[in-house]
Formats: sequence, C-alpha cells, structure tokens
Amino acid sequence: MSGAPKVEAGAAKLPRDFTYINARKRRPSEYEAVNLHVQPRLGNWWDKGNSYLRTPEGREAFIVDSTRLRHPDWHDFRDPSSLWQRPYMRMQAEQERAIERLSEDVASSVSADVDPTWLTDILQNHYSVWSFVEYGLFRGMFSASREGLSDTVVASMLFETFDRARHSQDIVHYMLVLEENVPGFDATGAKDSWLESPRYQPLRRLVEEISFGVKDWGESIVAMNLCFDPIVTDVAVLKLIGAMGPVHGDVVSKLIVSSVERDRRRELAWSEEFVRMCTADDVPAAAENKAIIAEWVATWTPRAIDAVAPMAELYDGLAAAKTPFAEVLAAAAAKQREVVTTLGVGGGA
Amino acid sequence: MPSLIEAHDRVKSVEWTPSYVEHQPRYPTRYKVPKKTKDPFRTLVREYLTMEQEKDDRQYGGFEDVLSRTSGAKDADPGWLEGLKLALPIVVYAEYGAEKCQSMLVDTVDNAELRAGYLAQAMDERRHLNQQMYLLRYFAKNAADPCGFDRGMQVRGDNIFARAGRVCFDNFYVNDPIECALSLQVVGETAYTNPLFVALTAVAALNGDHATPGVFLSIQSDEARHMANGYSTLAAVLSEPDNLPMLQQDLDRSFWRQHVFLDPLISVLFDYFGRGKMEKSYGKLWEEWVADDWVGNYIGTLEPFGLQVPKYFAHAADRMKWSGHTAAMVAAASWPLHYWRWPSLTPEHMEWMEEQYPGWYDIYGNFWEAYALLEDPSMEMIPIQGLSERPYFCRTCALPCVFPKIDEPTTRVRSYGGRNHAFCSEPCEEIFCQQPERYESTMLWDELWDGTSLEEFVVTRNLLREDGKTLIAQPHTKPDAHMWTVEDITRINFEIENPIKNLKDAPELVKQADGTLALAIAAL
Repeated sequence: MSGAPKVEAGAAKLPRDFTYINARKRRPSEYEAVNLHVQPRLGNWWDKGNSYLRTPEGREAFIVDSTRLRHPDWHDFRDPSSLWQRPYMRMQAEQERAIERLSEDVASSVSADVDPTWLTDILQNHYSVWSFVEYGLFRGMFSASREGLSDTVVASMLFETFDRARHSQDIVHYMLVLEENVPGFDATGAKDSWLESPRYQPLRRLVEEISFGVKDWGESIVAMNLCFDPIVTDVAVLKLIGAMGPVHGDVVSKLIVSSVERDRRRELAWSEEFVRMCTADDVPAAAENKAIIAEWVATWTPRAIDAVAPMAELYDGLAAAKTPFAEVLAAAAAKQREVVTTLGVGGGA
Repeated sequence: MPSLIEAHDRVKSVEWTPSYVEHQPRYPTRYKVPKKTKDPFRTLVREYLTMEQEKDDRQYGGFEDVLSRTSGAKDADPGWLEGLKLALPIVVYAEYGAEKCQSMLVDTVDNAELRAGYLAQAMDERRHLNQQMYLLRYFAKNAADPCGFDRGMQVRGDNIFARAGRVCFDNFYVNDPIECALSLQVVGETAYTNPLFVALTAVAALNGDHATPGVFLSIQSDEARHMANGYSTLAAVLSEPDNLPMLQQDLDRSFWRQHVFLDPLISVLFDYFGRGKMEKSYGKLWEEWVADDWVGNYIGTLEPFGLQVPKYFAHAADRMKWSGHTAAMVAAASWPLHYWRWPSLTPEHMEWMEEQYPGWYDIYGNFWEAYALLEDPSMEMIPIQGLSERPYFCRTCALPCVFPKIDEPTTRVRSYGGRNHAFCSEPCEEIFCQQPERYESTMLWDELWDGTSLEEFVVTRNLLREDGKTLIAQPHTKPDAHMWTVEDITRINFEIENPIKNLKDAPELVKQADGTLALAIAAL
C-alpha cells in the first residue's frame, strides 16, 4: 500500500443529488429526478447517434422524423403539473373513490331522481357512446407515446392515455349502475349507435383519423388536446352532460365530467407548454414549428366543429337549455381560438 | 352494484375496428393474433388505481420508516452499494423499454382482452422506473460514497457493460412487437424477475441495505400480472399453427439475448457485490428458478402445443458455470472505466466462493489476490494490462468476447458488409445471421473509443469526482486506502483499442436468398 491512510480524496465536496439534470430550480424537483433521462437523449449520452439495434424493418429506437417538429433538446419539456406516478395514482384513485361512492349512494333513488327523458335521450343514447370516443383516443395516445422523443413528454402522454381509459370506463360503470337500478334502461345499443347512427359518424371518422391515421406524435398532441377536447368534448360532454345533468337530477354524470375536466385542464396546460417549448425564440426551428402546428390546428379545428355539430338536436331538444346550441358551439370555438392564438398557432375557426 | 365480471365484460365490448381509416400499426408483426383470448386479470382502471395506491403508500411509507429507524444507507456494506450503482441505471432502462413495449402491443395486437392488461402493465412500468429512480436518488443523497449514484444515468452510455444492457433491453421495444413481448414478458419477467427482485432483496438485507428490499418486493408484486400477460400473448399466438415455426425461433433468440446479459449481471451482483453472505450462490438459484421453474414448469407446459425448450438452453446452462466469474473478472480488471468501485474479495469471501463453486480458487483465486495488490497505484498497473491480448466485442450482445472462460473463449470473427464482426458464441453468431439488418448502425464500445487514452476517457466521460482529479471508480471500497487520481492513470499509459478493425481475412458471411447470412463457400 502507498503509505499512511489518507483522507478520502474528493470527499470534501460530495454531490448529494443527481448532477446531470438541468433543473428548473436550484435542485431537481422530485418530478425531474424520477423522470428525466430515463429515455436516451437523441444523439447524446448513451445514445451516440442511435448506435444500437434496429427493428427488422430498419427503424431505430427513436427517430427524429417521428414528428415534423424539431427541437434541440426534447428533454427540456416540463409538465406544469410536475406529475410522476405516485402523485398521479393517488390523485386519480381519489377521483375514482368519489365517483364510486356517489354512484353507490344514489343508486337506489336514481330512478326517481333523474328525469326520464334525460335518462333515455342523453345518458342511454348519448353519454354511453362517449365511452367509445375516449377509448379511441386512448388507443391513439397510447400508441403515439411510443414515439415521443423525451421521457417527460412521454410521461404526460402516458398519463393522458390512462385518463382517457379511466373516463371511458367510468361511463361504462355508470351505465351498468343505471341498468341495474332503472327499469327499462339499456345502454347496450351504444356500439350500434357509434358504428351506425348518422349523428355519430362524423365524430367516429374524426376519432379514427386522429387515433389511427395520424402518425406524427406531435400532431396527436395538438389534434387531441388543442382541437378535439376544447371543442368536441367541451360541447358534447362538459356543456351538455356536465352542465345539464344536475338540472335533470343527474349528479353522478356531473361528478364524472368534473373529474374529467380536472384532467382536461391539466392536459391543456401541458399541451400549451409543449407548444411554447417548440416555438420559443431560442429554438432554431421555432418559425417552422409554429407553421406546422398552425397547419395542424387549421386542419383539425374545423373537423372538430363539424363532428360535434350533429349534437345540436340533443342539446336544443332539452327544455332546460337556455342558450341555443349554435351559441354554445361558437363560444367553445372562440375560446379554443383564443388559446391557439395566444400560443401564436392560431388559424382555428 | 354491478359485479366486476359484468363491468369487465362491458368494458371489453367498447371496441371496434376502424372503418374510416385503415389502421396500419406503427410496428407491424409477422404473427397472426386471434381477436379473442382470455384476459387472466380482468384489470379495470378503478380497481387498478386502488390497488396500486395502497402498494405505493406501503412502499414509500416503508421507505420513510426505514430512514427514521436507521442511519439509512450509511450502515450498508459499501461493496454492495457499489453493485447498485452499476445495476440501477441499467435496470431502469429495462423498465422504460417495458413501458414502450406496451405502447406497441396495444397498437399492433388487435385483441381487446389483451389490451386492458397492456395498459395496466404500462402504468406498472412507469411505477417501477419512478420507484427505482427514487431509490437511486436516495442513495445519491445518503450513501457514504454517492459518486456514481449521482450520475450513473448520464454516464451509462459510455460504459462497456451498461451498453450491453441497453442492447439486451432494446429487445423489449425495438423489434416485432410479439418478439418484444417474448423477450420482455415470457423470458425477462417470467424467468428473471424472481432472481432480480426477490433474490437480490435478501442480499441487500444481509448487507445492511434496508431501502432496496421494500422497493424491489413492491415491484415484484406487479410482475405476476406481467407474466400472465406474457402467457396470454403466447397462448394467443400459439393458437394459430402458422405461427409456430417463427415463434420457436423468436423464443430461442429471446432467451439467449436475455441470458447472455442478465445472467452475468445478476451473478456478479449476487456472488460478488453480495459479499459472500448468502447461503446459496446464484449458480444454485439459477438451477431452481431458471432451469427448474422456468424451463421445467413454465415452458414445459407449452410443449403439448408444440413449443420446445429454447434451442440454446443447454448452451446457456453450460456457460453458467463460468460466465458470472468471467464477467466479474473482466469488469474488475477494467475498473477505472466504470462509474462504480470494485471491491477486492476478502479471504472469507473467497472461501465462500470456493464452497459454492468448488474449484473456483484454482481458476480465479490468483486474479483476485493480484487484484488486491494492484490497489496500490505505485504498481502502475491496472489488471486488464495483464491480459495477453485485448478481447474483441460481440456484435450481437455487445459484451467482450471472453465467455465462457477468458482463457477458452468461444469467439469467432466474420466479415460482412465491409466490417469485421466478432461473436462471443455460436448462438450470438446465429442470431446475427438471422437478422443482419438489425446491426447496420451498431457501434460497439471499442469502436466508439478506439485510440482514446484512459486519461482522456475518464476526463471527458465525466468519470471524475467533484475535485476534478479523483476517479469515481476505485479498485477498493476502503475508506482509508489511497484514492486513485487522474495522475495515477496518466502514468499507466493505457489506450483503448479496437483490435478487430485491422484483422484481415476473416471468413466472409454472405446473404442467402431468404435474407439470412451463411459462411461463403470459400470460407467453409
């Protein structure tokens, strides 16, 4: 051995945290620490220009061309909600408990409390169909999450995937409660309506195009969260079911929709952050990104408006609806336009 | 309230085949998958959330409890913690690859039953990688020597063994989705999560590490569902007779690819970083868990359907006698290149090795005796300089071609596509020949760093401690021994080489009509 014991070199200053994270604050947040760099950064660190295996078709693990958008470091993305698995699960488990409890509490009186026309026309014939809408979008977002170019973007996409599955299943659970407790209630026709009813065909086409036709993961985010939800979900779920439900004695739908709205606000916030990141002044491709996103917004916004338009007959048929459907839709479109215009990617209706 | 079965059946009916657009999966499969099979778990989002939240509360609560009752990681055997420095950044990647695998399966496998299981598994994988990152950060904050825990995730890409880990786990998501499921769920999770997350839990506890067991056991509690997902996927594809020939070949390949990296890794963690404290060695546990349970009980039950024990299993069993020891020796011999410290073996540990692996000392004893002497930088030598020649790296598994035994490697070298390729074994060569297009862009560690001095490597690859001169890696874990610095390394005068690049006349592989490779007639 080389002489007397020595003080451990380098011991004077120990790092005591992850040293590789470009933290937003002085130290990495829990969210940053447990998510960042689990996905290799393209062309750097343990990626080294994708020098690893390819698929038999020649695809590398991650590819720049999985989106038309360009960013020098996708790992710069931060979800404004700073969600990672544990707080996400805790939050959503609490939401589900509340929905389940309320469903149990009102089950025995739902037949008497809820307006019969609302039960049939809206819940049985319309809301039941929405489980298909969310299921389609769930599949689209889940698949797109394979391609996201950083772990933080993918975390937000994965949580949204789960949110959509949750909403789809919440509707199914509620339909089953109604079938059990309301004589004559039968939501099993939802699939036929989804596949055949003229009212839902523009919507089904839109869901299929977004979920199965779009292959650019950036476009999936923009189409679902900045075009579809702010218009279609806003009008056909929030304004129709959430707002009108309590008037007709339906408190469970109101709770489900409120819970879904919590998710929507979060998803809108991270999608806005995503657009801001892609179009920030210091991003070399900011102008190109802005043009591409604006093109997507211009593509999907009118489609969303067209797809939700057939819901007018449902909405305007409700005596309690004080505002005409056209105005409700126009208000949603205006609000969405404001969102995309503020982001500099306007071009909406 | 409606029953779970009723709810599950209705949830499954929320499914349709798109008709306005033709659904082209991002990752097509060669397999035929029937639309209906059995979902063994009937996983619903609502039940899943409740179950996992309870598990999270127990696990993270337990973590806080351990911290309050003990002096945390500072009590743990430092040698064991160095093994975790090595392993956690690699295992995290396996979890991420597993999450990606689910996002491919959900798109490609047109089966509502299986899709529900894939969603739950994706969330589980996110759970596991967050848990493991949380654990990694806990050690960065609390271990006596946090260097390596603080940046393992960053520097793993430059590490010989972590790069091989990436190649192993890329097979979870950079391939035909069904073959990914075989690699992940049928082999990785069914054969290897017990050794990894259960056996290593006991090793951790015996080494005074009270944080890791709770995390690993909580992770393992999700794995039964994943194994069932694998079984369901397997049963689904087995029900189509046309799938069988490729299924067998894919299973053979998946098994070998997992074995070739995971067995040396777990063996090194268990038998070397475990510090000789376990009653049984990994070699013995492998017999029970991989040979008896996985091959005997699991794969055995599939034989009536035409599926056979993986072709390379006997070869793997044979390599098990040596591969862990060989990996440990080569990794310790190249210690300055890593982001962890390599403890030397105590006399008691060597006794344990000899007891567990009779004859071990005759083959490896001298190396470890010499290794302890070379702790001293005045010897001006790192053990890898004692090798008569530099090993090649295997194009298929990315590990050095030193297996099964460093003095009797089964290395073979071929030329194809204008490059020389070494293979550590016959299965690795066969696997390359089956799908050569998968390796067109691969760069092995020695190809990336050819011509780089050791000094330049440790400086530029962020392998120095905060003082800018002391190496993260050390050939010991003793608090009072000399800590090697970059000056010590400079004196050694060691350069990374790619010995295969100038090799002439390697036998040539040529493409066959079916796209696979075979030796050119002239080479036969």
